[in-house]
Amino acid sequence: MSREHQHDAGLLSRRALLGGIGCACCAGVLGTGEALARIAPKSMNSLVGPGYKPVDRDERGLWQQYDRFEEEVAGSNLRMNDPAMQRYLGGLAERVGGPAARDLRVYLVRVPEFNAFMTPTGFMVVFSGLLTRMRNEAQLSGVIAHEAGHYLRKHQIRAYRDTKQKANAFAVLAMAAGVGGAGAGVYLGDAVQLAQLGTILSLFDYSRELEAEADAIGLRNIAETGYEPMEMSRVWEQLIAETEASARVRNKRPRRGGSLLATHPAPRERMRDLRASAAEVTQAGRSYEDGRARYQNALAPHRAMLLDDQIKLNDPGASLYIIENLAKDGWNGLLRFYEAETYRLRGRPEDLARAVSGYAQAVRFPDAPAEAWRQHGYAQIKAGRPAEGRQALQTYLAKAPNAPDAKMVRFSLAQ
Amino acid sequence: MRGKLLAGLAAASLLLGGCTSTKQLADLNFAPPQGDYSLIVMRPDVQVGQLTTGGLVEPREEWTEQARTNILAALRAQQAERGGRTKVVATRADAGTDPQLVADLERLHAAVGQSILLHKYVGLTLPTKRRQGLDYTLGEDAQRFGRATGYDYALFMNAQSSRASDGRVAMQVVGILGCFIGFCAPQGGGSQTAFASLVDLRSGEVVWFNVLQGGSQLPGVQGNDIRTPEGAAGLVDRLLDRMKPGRNIRRAQDRRQG
Repeated sequence: MSREHQHDAGLLSRRALLGGIGCACCAGVLGTGEALARIAPKSMNSLVGPGYKPVDRDERGLWQQYDRFEEEVAGSNLRMNDPAMQRYLGGLAERVGGPAARDLRVYLVRVPEFNAFMTPTGFMVVFSGLLTRMRNEAQLSGVIAHEAGHYLRKHQIRAYRDTKQKANAFAVLAMAAGVGGAGAGVYLGDAVQLAQLGTILSLFDYSRELEAEADAIGLRNIAETGYEPMEMSRVWEQLIAETEASARVRNKRPRRGGSLLATHPAPRERMRDLRASAAEVTQAGRSYEDGRARYQNALAPHRAMLLDDQIKLNDPGASLYIIENLAKDGWNGLLRFYEAETYRLRGRPEDLARAVSGYAQAVRFPDAPAEAWRQHGYAQIKAGRPAEGRQALQTYLAKAPNAPDAKMVRFSLAQ
Repeated sequence: MRGKLLAGLAAASLLLGGCTSTKQLADLNFAPPQGDYSLIVMRPDVQVGQLTTGGLVEPREEWTEQARTNILAALRAQQAERGGRTKVVATRADAGTDPQLVADLERLHAAVGQSILLHKYVGLTLPTKRRQGLDYTLGEDAQRFGRATGYDYALFMNAQSSRASDGRVAMQVVGILGCFIGFCAPQGGGSQTAFASLVDLRSGEVVWFNVLQGGSQLPGVQGNDIRTPEGAAGLVDRLLDRMKPGRNIRRAQDRRQG
């Protein structure tokens, strides 16, 4: 204590310096307690032009790494190699990719999660779980446009430079505090730790700011293309509702995001900002489309697989929400079948009856998958209606004569 | 006086920390290939970056290219002396079979290599793999690759290196000078890690593995510079020369000599 007193004069300036830097970081931290300021879509211009190639040394190093990564992704066995789907997704990226329209590459991977990511070199990875959840082309294009926004605004290299500068500044500061403190005979470790926390939190803050930028430029691009701008906020509305539905069934509290250590703004905040921005970019008198028919056509060959992957995640709350959300555009045999399957897999006492009635409803639709007939058949036999059940199993065999379990079903019928 | 002593101790420990070490592991029955064997050296995974003041490694395109070229040349030169029939490939297409098969094998090897590093080097020992030498296999994929290409062995190699920036060197200097006034904060400088593994394509087994690690907290001491032909040759030499046979083979050799 007395020692500190002796060196008071010399210390003051150092303290002021440390305090100043600490506060610069903390200002960023405190800023996140409040909502991040919304970024106006029209303020977001692209920072890259067509055929962009990096010039700076650090960016070239980054690109080299990602070129190697692209080689891995392109040859990954998680990829869904359907040329028609590939063309469809590539076409969407071209429509909403702004100046980079012709430079973007889209890879679809079979992972049943709501996700997509962009790389600094202009290729994007879309998870199949995203396609499962979108109701129309405008929603999917919104996500693609958001990802393209990361490329257009050069987010990875900007985030890297931000991290590098802050790490450098912190290292110099910590060393100066250590050596200076030792010279002056005081311990500044606590101040250094505070500055470290501030530095780390400010990195996350920057990451959230870039996400908000990508939302803004993405929205601008889909609106200019003619997609209904409001659909982008609906994606978040759906995700929030799904998270809550999933948590409710599991008796858990839903995760709302919005922590100081979050890389993305909280979904509620994004939804609110996207709504406000959508109103801003909508031009009176112009008509916007959601492209639902095109979307449903493009997805038709894969819909059963996508739903099948989802219900096998053993997340009945989310699965039922996704199915019901899609059914807002009309129930069909596929949705009814997978709704019934979700109940069967959840297996609560009341679920069996729901599954039985779900199969019965499914088979009334012309697009009911063959498996719906099999499930319906067994359910009817169990319920004491053998004639109806056998009829349904016959239909199953007629629709899927080479099914792996066809022999088994024939055996059941012979009993 | 006490300060000087501390500084001396610190400097000594720093010097000791500044060396390169390798640690080999082999299948119990591994005999280094010699005579009439054929070997394919898979595309080496090389990455060179600059260590920034704050401790981030910034990848550098030209450095990586230089290092890769030099390592390929060093591998060719080294293997040419050995008598076996050797091919060093620079791209997947060079391997002489379906690039997808090559990619699959490379990924499988990356996963198996990671477990070898984790369970045999990092220290998370598996009770079932204790005292068994190297007991890992790439299985049928490797055998299929061997049949398709006609090689007996495949060698995989990975090298990561970083060079300290001027700012980082300054940090290192200050960190050590601080020792004289009682604030010792030695900072890591450039470093190198590399590993190589040899797969017997007839059995599919990983028969030999070597890890090289180097780094220093002394400013200016950075070890082999793999961006230069000499540095790359040094790395390849330390990593791949003098393959030791497996334990059973060594014991048999000792018995014969004894």
